[in-house]
Amino acid sequence: MASVWPLQLHPISIPHQVSTNALDLKPQLGFKERYRIWNRKNKYRDFFVRASGDALPSGEVNPIKDEAILEKTENNGMVVLRHQVSRLQETIISLPPIVFLVRYKRSGSVADLVRRGQLNSDRRGISKTPLYDDPFDNPLVKISKNNLSVEMCGKVYRLAPVTLTREEQNIHQKRRSRAYQWKRPTIFLKEGDPIPSDVDPDTVRWIPANHPFATTASDITEDLAQNNVRQKHGVPFRIQAEHEALQKKLEALQSDQKFNNLGVDPGTARNFERPFKSNLKLDDQQAEQNSVNGQTGSQPESQTNSHTSSSNSTSEEKRTQ
Amino acid sequence: MTSLRWLTEPSSLCSPNFLPFKPMYKTLPRPTTKPYPKSSPIRSVLQYNRKPELAGGTPRVVVITSGKGGVGKTTTTANVGLSLARLGFSVVAIDADVGLRNLDLLLGLENRVNYTVVEVLNGDCRLDQALVRDKRWSNFELLCISKPRSKLPLGFGGKALVWLVDALKDRQEGCPDFILIDCPAGIDAGFITAITPANEAVLVTTPDITALRDADRVTGLLECDGIRDIKMIVNRVRTDLIRGEDMMSVLDVQEMLGLALLGVIPEDSEVIRSTNRGFPLVLNKPPTLAGLAFEQAAWRLVEQDSMKAVMVEEEPKKRGFFSFFGG
Repeated sequence: MASVWPLQLHPISIPHQVSTNALDLKPQLGFKERYRIWNRKNKYRDFFVRASGDALPSGEVNPIKDEAILEKTENNGMVVLRHQVSRLQETIISLPPIVFLVRYKRSGSVADLVRRGQLNSDRRGISKTPLYDDPFDNPLVKISKNNLSVEMCGKVYRLAPVTLTREEQNIHQKRRSRAYQWKRPTIFLKEGDPIPSDVDPDTVRWIPANHPFATTASDITEDLAQNNVRQKHGVPFRIQAEHEALQKKLEALQSDQKFNNLGVDPGTARNFERPFKSNLKLDDQQAEQNSVNGQTGSQPESQTNSHTSSSNSTSEEKRTQ
Repeated sequence: MTSLRWLTEPSSLCSPNFLPFKPMYKTLPRPTTKPYPKSSPIRSVLQYNRKPELAGGTPRVVVITSGKGGVGKTTTTANVGLSLARLGFSVVAIDADVGLRNLDLLLGLENRVNYTVVEVLNGDCRLDQALVRDKRWSNFELLCISKPRSKLPLGFGGKALVWLVDALKDRQEGCPDFILIDCPAGIDAGFITAITPANEAVLVTTPDITALRDADRVTGLLECDGIRDIKMIVNRVRTDLIRGEDMMSVLDVQEMLGLALLGVIPEDSEVIRSTNRGFPLVLNKPPTLAGLAFEQAAWRLVEQDSMKAVMVEEEPKKRGFFSFFGG
């Protein structure tokens, strides 16, 4: 009977996992028993051996019957065996020799990858973003029991209590109030400006003439600026004002055009002309002219002629270039 | 060599009003190996294991200032702001550094700043259009005062910030819990603008004499302006230098400034990395040393708490007997 039992060893160093190292003796090739050896937190001081008799086909239903616990205490090193263990030992001895295939397996779970920094936990669905990160409940901040040192980011710092008292603070305040007598400037004047009569000269802030503030010309009044800051909805004041001004200008222009429709300045028309069109063939230009004339209808003959001549001249100019 | 000689200007030292206080006559740097009273118990070092409870009324308008430049105001604003957002509070960070704004870079939001407060004041856009919402933590919003080349009208810099805070209070989606104002360096008009709407201040300093003198001056100005709730963050602390007595310890700094400690941020090379990536340190996984310290500072800011114990120096890690074997 070939008795090769795969023995799986999981050397994981996650500190919070309950059963870390597991020796799994899988019952293969007709062997019906299943043994597991747990080692707690990969510290080799005390460990448990649990052998589960897997007599029932359902597996984990009744494992308690044949459970054996092996405990090795740290102080005296004695091994306490319960009576089931002796039975287990006998079973093992009676078995044919076993080839242990020790296979190291990284667990490679997402949590493990995140822990090792190979995955960003933010990008995965496995960890919810905390609403707030408690800076004092951080694993990188450890305070010693006697409050005399703190370990932050792997470095240990000695702590000293703050000795400043309220009285000392008051003494400092008094010292400063004597040393630095200051009045908030209420008015800013450029050098050379006269001081208004109702202003305390101590509160005047003199700004040199080349100071960026001093060269600023403000074209808005305080009230207007204050209203602008408070505006919550709609088009901003300046934009609206400019828009309205433009609108008025346009309307004025349009009304002017109604009256002076017949006398359009040919120079203005030339300004609107697109120069790249002059590269087109004359036939096209003629056709375009006709279409334009057809649209406008009431354009005088002289203007059309002048327009054509000007466009011709521009095309000639282009050619000479 | 007196410690306070650096803090206050010579004129103030000569003035008869100036009363020296206790650490005046101490030499600097003070020996950091001073035996701290070990008998006194260290309380409330890390007592938290819960969500922080918001103390004070909303919005808490906090200005983050320093006086000296380059000590980490903007880094602090970005990291504390995002920490607060991660703790579940709605935060609006205002970059009040008018000429040289950088907060958008640190947050990686520089491509999304289309409108600033200047445009809001001009009426070119509404306030909600100028607020840039962070996609990582949607309860964090950035507001820049101006684009680098545009100029804020001088007269109503401070008033404009007060209007902004008022407008944020009345928002439809509710008042934000925190409004953090990143103050520019110096005590110029930008500083005055930034501190105007603030109720409390976080003073960022490094443990060196130049930053300390500026910090003391700025603290004085803040107190003159009526901001009484001032806490400090000591940034870029190197415990190895403290151990060799080449750097003032945090307790020395506290003794010189007399301010409550909000946090102590150790020097960390991850800070420059996260700055250049536009990815604030507190979002790093795994968390870094400085990131943890910023988070803890944010926690204390929420609860209006201060540090009761500080890390003074690094000591060798004690390893267990079985550590050799991997235990």
